[in-house]
Amino acid sequence: MQGVVVRALLTVMVVTMALAMPAYARDWWGAGEGRVFPAVADFPNEHGTLRVLLQDGPLDTRGHPFFEPLGPHGRACVTCHQPADAMSLSLASIRQQWQTAGARDPLFAPIDGANCPDLPHGERDSHSLLLDHGLFRIARPWPPRDHAGKAIKPDFDVDVIHDPTGCNLSPRWGLPSDDPHVSVYRRPRPVANLKYVLAMGFAIDGKRGLPLPLDPDTGKPVSGNLMADSRVLTLKAQMHDAARSHLGFFERLTPAQIERINDFEMRVFTAQQQNRLGDSLDAGGAEGGPAKLADSEPGRLGSQGIGVWSEFAPWERADDSSVTPERRALRESIARGARSFRERTFLIADSRGVNSPMGFGNPMRDRCALCHNMSQMGMDVAPGQVDLGTTTQPFADQQPHLPLFRITCKGEPHPHYGRVIHTHDPGYALTTGRCADVGRITLQSLRGLAARAPYFVNGTASTLREVVEYYDRRYSIGYTEQEIEDLVNLMSAL
Amino acid sequence: MQGRFWRFVAAAVLVNVAVAAPAEQQIKPVVEQVGEEVRFITCPIYRDTDAGRKSGCWLGDRRETGTRFDITGSPTKPDWNHAVLVEGRVVEGDTQQCGGVLLEPVRVSVLHDQNCTRHMLPAEGFTGRRFSLPTRNIRPLYEPRELPKPPYQEKSFDIPFDFGRDYIVYQLSDYYIDKAVKYAIDIDASRVEITGYAATTPTTVSGQTLREPAELALRRAEVAREWLRRMGYPLDRVKIRAQTKAKVSDMEGADGLTEPSRRRVTLRVIP
Repeated sequence: MQGVVVRALLTVMVVTMALAMPAYARDWWGAGEGRVFPAVADFPNEHGTLRVLLQDGPLDTRGHPFFEPLGPHGRACVTCHQPADAMSLSLASIRQQWQTAGARDPLFAPIDGANCPDLPHGERDSHSLLLDHGLFRIARPWPPRDHAGKAIKPDFDVDVIHDPTGCNLSPRWGLPSDDPHVSVYRRPRPVANLKYVLAMGFAIDGKRGLPLPLDPDTGKPVSGNLMADSRVLTLKAQMHDAARSHLGFFERLTPAQIERINDFEMRVFTAQQQNRLGDSLDAGGAEGGPAKLADSEPGRLGSQGIGVWSEFAPWERADDSSVTPERRALRESIARGARSFRERTFLIADSRGVNSPMGFGNPMRDRCALCHNMSQMGMDVAPGQVDLGTTTQPFADQQPHLPLFRITCKGEPHPHYGRVIHTHDPGYALTTGRCADVGRITLQSLRGLAARAPYFVNGTASTLREVVEYYDRRYSIGYTEQEIEDLVNLMSAL
Repeated sequence: MQGRFWRFVAAAVLVNVAVAAPAEQQIKPVVEQVGEEVRFITCPIYRDTDAGRKSGCWLGDRRETGTRFDITGSPTKPDWNHAVLVEGRVVEGDTQQCGGVLLEPVRVSVLHDQNCTRHMLPAEGFTGRRFSLPTRNIRPLYEPRELPKPPYQEKSFDIPFDFGRDYIVYQLSDYYIDKAVKYAIDIDASRVEITGYAATTPTTVSGQTLREPAELALRRAEVAREWLRRMGYPLDRVKIRAQTKAKVSDMEGADGLTEPSRRRVTLRVIP
């Protein structure tokens, strides 16, 4: 009898809690929790369910350097690479963490979790870029240094035109300081499916007219696809960079720590597993979900092999009578979106990395899959530093919350913007020091998008629909409402 | 037949211009012949045909004759904001795809210091040309590759360049330089001699004097050296030199076009 009462009470409690929580409460993984990372974990989101796979079985994270706090801020790698957020970090999770833990949470460490480290810690306004746009501060040395640490003489000047965070004109943190830095604000990239990110499909970087860049440590070629601005070229270098800049860990990671982080990161795969109707994305002949990613060869060019997102081609004629009409319609929409991604042409103009210097022409008529060309991943097989205009005027949407820089090219003008450029984030140019690289941002994986809004490097698209609408404006595509819906459904299924 | 038609149209236009223009401004009518090599500077026109990816057309009017050429086939396509140097051979071909007399082979060099007003024509019934992968393309790393078999021979490889540039043209120059560097690595060549050339001798094109800067010869050679370095060939075995006043060559990458054959780098790979 008592057991029945207890069960009834528990049921009431569970129902009450479920009603009180938001529909998709985030499963936050704090630094040093010591959980076991499961071999398979599913996380709900507004578009369905994300799955995270850990190849070769579960991992006890106790004492693991990806999960244990390093440095004075109490942060670990997992702080900004949350499993529930496709190993990136969604704005929803950031806000939830602010609500539940407040500014004392390591996530909001002033070094990059505040708009500028010298702002009053704990006040919401000090963290507005993180809380409103999901953006962390990335401080880049100016002038830049090459991958071997040698100073580069840039062929452009940087002036700060608008500095809402105060950080770029700060005598302590900005360009006037003794250790000059440019602060830009970016979204964290997912730490998953990394064999694709590191894959080298071709030996050359056609956008430079040169073979792939070389890792300064080993002298071996690397993919060049690792970071938004390609500031580091290998996972090892990225670990050191992140440990210093995000964790405040200024000791060198030990070889054993690097090996353990590397081992974990190379085993993690993630993708959406179910759509919003609970339909498995690998049902009915389709091959969505992360299992296929874990088993496939990376770095394949879609146009000469497995077409990009062709894993949904079996749904183009979703004649499975066992599926409800609603599910069938969504399957067909996803498949149409995939075909549109591969085949719908539009005029691409004035995009560095596409219209120059490759010789494709300016303008050129092509498709989403021109740049998003890697099978099963939608990255660029070649190093993917492309200027979509998301950070640079006149194409960028209005971003008064972000700094605005005036770039003045001292040598040859930029091939599309001319001699004077206004940008919120010079991107790859902060690494190379070349004016022609202003605005170029490395394309990233399109997997797990449903779990990690907002989008684009600077978080300017709050939703997947806003992503499509940006492209529609930028390239005057003229998508129909149906086409937009199909592309959104596709992207929510990746 | 279509080629003759276009020549007729061009000739008719020229005659009219010649009649209307004052005597001192008269342009000597030049009507291109099939097989003729032409060289001119113009502002490019984009025709927005759509036969799938990369199917848009590029046109260039040769102002000296009034002939509109189809220059789409160039490995480097134009930028509609800048003038282009067009070099190509007149052939009889399908003018209904793009709406111009076909040049094949054709090379386009973008003249970044000469601005143009961008101009786009609608398809106007022209079909465009379906994209097919150029035969000169680098294959992916994951495809198996046949290695050279001994005894190894000394070989020379010529790498073509656009006018005034040291950029390795995608799906043309990269194909040749990739072959050269891989050969040097595969046979563990004892020496590679790089000679960069620049066409520094002035020529007059569309009323403009064109000449490449002398330092471009060395820059081109340095690009080739950087390819060797990045692909793992030891630089202490590389000798580099530059040569101006480049002469015409028979390099494959120029496809028989005279002036483009001067703009090159030669890699001599010695076993």
